[in-house]
Amino acid sequence: MINFLIVGCGATVGAFLRNEMTLIQSKIKIDFPVITLLINIMGAIALGIFTAQIQNGAILLLLGTGFCGGFTTYGTFNMELSQLWFQHQGWRCFWYFTLTYIFGILGFIVGIHI
Amino acid sequence: MRKRSEVFLCLFVGAFIGSDLRYLESLVFKTSHGFPLGTLIANLSGALFLPFLIHYLQDRFNLSSRMILTLSTGMLGSYTTFSTFTSDAYRLYSNGQWWSLLIYMTITMVGGFLVAVLGNYWAASSAFNDYVKEKGARK
Repeated sequence: MINFLIVGCGATVGAFLRNEMTLIQSKIKIDFPVITLLINIMGAIALGIFTAQIQNGAILLLLGTGFCGGFTTYGTFNMELSQLWFQHQGWRCFWYFTLTYIFGILGFIVGIHI
Repeated sequence: MRKRSEVFLCLFVGAFIGSDLRYLESLVFKTSHGFPLGTLIANLSGALFLPFLIHYLQDRFNLSSRMILTLSTGMLGSYTTFSTFTSDAYRLYSNGQWWSLLIYMTITMVGGFLVAVLGNYWAASSAFNDYVKEKGARK
């Protein structure tokens, strides 16, 4: 039961940080969802580091499943992807997709080997 | 909505529900081969529901910006996860579970996009049905 509390607390901090970063998106004049891209890559790197460095199960639950899980988002990524698709911005859609998955997975691998 | 404490409270409620739902699914859908079915279910259902919420439910029920922040950024944002996907994929790769890796990556990468597109159509068709119903009622 305590595990649910741990996950929830981590996710709250993650979601708050994600929201703070998303607010920057409206201020920059780039017509590309760079912030979500950055959030997902950074979260993947962080999870790699946590997975490799932390042995304690509860702390890993807090920082991994909770914080990183709440910080990164797959729903928003796919919604932005579908929006680019509906706006007939095929190339942007393609690059967003490719960059997210390549650098996301690479990021995790880098994080785990740091 | 300017107040930071208010934003935090909305995200607190949303993120708690969303992340714990995901955690629960990862426990319930535990497979013998270590296939991350829970993450997959959470991600796909969240990706389907987010466009429906933003493009349909928001207008249909006149949801306040607080409610939207709680449900979309807070709940569905924390319910779905990208980082766990990368760690799951790496684990399957390390274990040499090639078929699981291929299936997991394909469904996540292709399925997520398709499901989000479907969510948009679902929202549009729901809005259209409401419009037709409303028009019929007025006659």
